Amino acid sequence: MNDMKIKDVVVMERKEDTGIGRFLKTVFFVEILQGMKLTLKTMFTKPVTRQYPKEKRPAMPGFRGLHALVRNPETQQAKCVGCGLCAAVCPSRCITIYTSEGEKHEKVVDRYEIEVLRCLYCALCVEACPFGAVVLTEHYEYAGYNKADFKMTKDKLLENWDKYMAGTKGEEYFKRFWGPRADDFKTPENQAVFKGRSQSKVDLHNAE
Amino acid sequence: MIKITIDGIEVQTDREITILEAAKQVGIEIPTLCTFKNLSPSGSCRMCLVEIERLSRPQTACTVKITDGMVVRTNSEAIMRARKAVLEFLLINHPLDCPVCDKAGECILQDLSAKYGAAAGRFKEGKRTNPVSFEDPVIVRDMQRCILCTRCVRTCDDLQGAFAISVINRGSHSLIEPFSGGRFDCEYCGNCLSACPVGAITSKLHRHTYRPWYIERQVETICGHCGVGCTLTLQMRENTIIRVIPDFEKGLNSGMLCVMGRFGYDYTEHEERLRSPLIRKDGELVPVSWEEAVEFTAWRLKELVKKYGGGAVAGIASGRCTNEDNYMLQKLIRYVLGSNNIDSAARLFYRPAVSYLERMFGQGITANLIPGIANSDGVFVAGGDPTTINPVLGIAVRSVWKKGGKVFVVGKSGGLRSNIKHELNHAEGAGALVLTWILAKVYEKKNFISENSIIDKKLSALKVPDMDMLVRVGVSPEALQYTADELVRLKNPVVIIGPETVLYGNGSKNLFLLGALNYVLNGRLFVLMDEPNTQGCLDMGCSPGVLVGGRPVELETFGHKMENTAGMKTPEGTGLNLFEMINGANSGSIKAMFVMGENPVFNIPDKKKVESALQKLEFLAVSDIFLTETASLADVVFPASAWSEKDGTYTNLERRLQRLRKGTMSSRGRADWKILADICKALGMKESYTDVKSVWDEISRISSVHSGVRYESLIGRGGIWPYGGEPLRGIEGDFEVEGLEDMPELPGFAQSGRVILKEDKSLIHSSSLSRYSPALMGVASEPLLMINPVTAQSLGLSDNERVVITSDKGTAVAILRADRGMPEGVAALSNTFKDNGFRSIVGYTIDPTLKSLNITDRVVTIERAKQL
Ligand code: SF4
Ligand code: SF4
Ligand code: SF4
Ligand code: SF4
Ligand code: SF4
Ligand code: FES
Repeated sequence: MNDMKIKDVVVMERKEDTGIGRFLKTVFFVEILQGMKLTLKTMFTKPVTRQYPKEKRPAMPGFRGLHALVRNPETQQAKCVGCGLCAAVCPSRCITIYTSEGEKHEKVVDRYEIEVLRCLYCALCVEACPFGAVVLTEHYEYAGYNKADFKMTKDKLLENWDKYMAGTKGEEYFKRFWGPRADDFKTPENQAVFKGRSQSKVDLHNAE
Repeated sequence: MIKITIDGIEVQTDREITILEAAKQVGIEIPTLCTFKNLSPSGSCRMCLVEIERLSRPQTACTVKITDGMVVRTNSEAIMRARKAVLEFLLINHPLDCPVCDKAGECILQDLSAKYGAAAGRFKEGKRTNPVSFEDPVIVRDMQRCILCTRCVRTCDDLQGAFAISVINRGSHSLIEPFSGGRFDCEYCGNCLSACPVGAITSKLHRHTYRPWYIERQVETICGHCGVGCTLTLQMRENTIIRVIPDFEKGLNSGMLCVMGRFGYDYTEHEERLRSPLIRKDGELVPVSWEEAVEFTAWRLKELVKKYGGGAVAGIASGRCTNEDNYMLQKLIRYVLGSNNIDSAARLFYRPAVSYLERMFGQGITANLIPGIANSDGVFVAGGDPTTINPVLGIAVRSVWKKGGKVFVVGKSGGLRSNIKHELNHAEGAGALVLTWILAKVYEKKNFISENSIIDKKLSALKVPDMDMLVRVGVSPEALQYTADELVRLKNPVVIIGPETVLYGNGSKNLFLLGALNYVLNGRLFVLMDEPNTQGCLDMGCSPGVLVGGRPVELETFGHKMENTAGMKTPEGTGLNLFEMINGANSGSIKAMFVMGENPVFNIPDKKKVESALQKLEFLAVSDIFLTETASLADVVFPASAWSEKDGTYTNLERRLQRLRKGTMSSRGRADWKILADICKALGMKESYTDVKSVWDEISRISSVHSGVRYESLIGRGGIWPYGGEPLRGIEGDFEVEGLEDMPELPGFAQSGRVILKEDKSLIHSSSLSRYSPALMGVASEPLLMINPVTAQSLGLSDNERVVITSDKGTAVAILRADRGMPEGVAALSNTFKDNGFRSIVGYTIDPTLKSLNITDRVVTIERAKQL
């Protein structure tokens, strides 16, 4: 760098309009009119871009939008058991879960919160969930004025399921994207390990 | 030198270690399930199988010792298959409920399955059903998940020494069950819980709330319940302690905790915690700002000192507060207000006992290391049950027995019942009699080099009771003979002294006898300490007659040091002790008192007297975490921060200085030293302190024992006595033994219908603090009256009945529990529960020699409580 010599630098001379020509151009907006020509031309042609708020493009299947907690159709409750795997896997640490012991000593999910502003829509939470209890819906329009609105609580997340995954949509979503995981741990034919007590209960204490 | 090859790596060692240990040394991981930190190998899970050349079958690495020339392979295909097979077998019965299991995330079975994997099981049979029990207050037992590694059983037997659980049934029916049936009803130390590799035994406190990745912070700190000072780790989520776990690598407890340490942390979250300073206005305590409370206190103290002189002020320090807190209190009382009237509840037993023994043998005589107890070949215990007062020290005593050493207990054997050969239980008040006989016999038989003419002279003056007398107080000649014979044989004995040696009279004689016994045996002395920092409280000069560093006030050089360093004058005179302060308050010579973290109304006998004395004060300031019986009498109450909310140092019973670390933020109170420093400041103190370290720096400049000890260096062995300072060795001169040459009297036996009451220390509770812990209250929720079953029967009372105990001083209600360990005619009540404390219904006198507590008015009547 130090070797660079001054004579290597070529100084270009800038040609500038001077005098009357420049004055006239300024007075008659010549440059602006030149620019507006294209605008005027396209004003009367068919638009090439999508007219977003009026015209919405349907999300591609599997689009990763706002979260929802899956509602179990039988119990009408959230499927989530509060295992915390989604919170563990989440790279931006935006899932917070508080669980406690219920009356029958079961695990109860007291709070399930996603701070969607921090979410990066990787869907690792969906992948981690052993119960297919959390999804990313196709809904993406949730701009707001209040930061607090972006803290999705358990109730809001369940509402999201009802709103955006209603009908068979949710089921199809899991079938299509998360394959066997959606089967709620149903026993694959060759895996006796998963059969558990519920299926073939043998009372070993009275087995004589 | 043994040379072996593991996976092609050569290992050389000169010790006969197992393959597992050898592999670990060269960084080869062999998976294990039934091997655990301090437990001896059991070889039952087969997870650690390795191939050894020239042996046809795989061997368990955890049990096979290495031999020269051995060639081991840990990663062959066959071994991988074997590991997978072991896991597949385990998963036949192990439920797959990881999502709702509290262990998930730190479960060894889960980790190994993920690593070696048994994805598809081939068993078509269903899983066995085993019981899940929620009956226990702090432990949940889910035997579905048990993999029968027996780590819990071995922990309970070999380490805790409680023998509470065992494997029952056979084959696939096997499971772990407490001997008492469904409930554990054990010592609830929870050490089995940290040993369980899966979620079969878990803590109830954080059941279903916990995941390892929910933990946001963890700090290593010191248990605040007793004088052992176990190292433990607090794990926090947000600002709440989720759980407490032991640290297996650090601390004197090597991974063991007791019920108080492990489960008794939740009092810090109690809703009755004080949240704001209170000042009495028109007879009511009303919340005020910190500034107002500090200003008001400073103003009142100044005014009273001006009016009545410094001698009218007194301070009560606490063994529950840190060294820095105590230092600051003595600074306020001594150097800012100019009064030597400072004392603490250490006065009741610990301080007189330790200073008496130090008078005999020099400063630091009780500074022996607790882990060292386990290396002893015999332990002599008198005056209290170490397994309840200092549980982890008690475990060390049990381990002596485990290794074949001898344990002797004079008095109720309690938690050491299965470790002794003969009971040396005696009628109430006959302790000195038994000790005198044992000491005399040992003195007669033992060849020892006498070095201390004062003690020798006293020893030869002892009057020895004859066997007849001893039989009359209920001790068998056989037991006595055995004890004396075995004691003489010991090479490395330990003598443990508990509070009962002092509390019920004959204090100086009992202490002399035990001190002399230790001297003759050439053993190590331990004095049980029920609060975490009683020793530190004394070291900080919170006792009349003693200045910072444990120097007697008479040693003038020390006074100069304080004057030079802090520019403050040590007041004249020795000051009043705790009892004299109470009397002073009663008679009007004490006008103002500052009580820090102590509850004298509940903890000093004769509640009515103490209460009325404190009421007569013109000004009483209390700093505490709860509105205790004492705080509710105060003019100003400062909310203090609790144990988990402050930094500082504790000095445990072996005089180990350890760092307490802040875990949770305190929104409720301030550290006591801070409160006191603010008051000192308002009274014109020059120094200011930015943090607890600056307080420590000042201590280490002034105290001759702590000199040069840096706050940061208090880790590991950094804080072990004598810390590099200069302790006072060899205090010259004679000491007094009250009634040395008298033949101990035979105690008068109780008349029928009347019973002698003693203080009981429950394992579950640490004085009155633990009554605020829901977990500990869940284990023991009501005051119990322990009584000999024969006595109970003669009173017409039966087990589990609600009874009323009446003495001359008051009444208490408790549940009767028959306990064969109690001598006839004696009952014991703890000093824990509000309105039903032992000390509230007895009186006291002051021991003339020791100036310690001597509990009187112990004769009570016990009746069935009226049905409500
Ligand atoms: S999509 Fe990714 S970032 Fe968003 S909550 Fe799930 S795991 Fe976290
Ligand atoms: S992984 Fe699934 S079941 Fe587990 S906490 Fe998350 S949503 Fe609930
Ligand atoms: S809690 Fe302690 S005493 Fe009770 S079974 Fe477990 S290890 Fe044994
Ligand atoms: S309860 Fe836990 S520690 Fe005990 S045998 Fe079962 S798996 Fe092992
Ligand atoms: S032995 Fe003492 S210090 Fe250790 S855990 Fe128990 S109460 Fe805490
Ligand atoms: S670890 Fe070796 S057999 Fe269990």
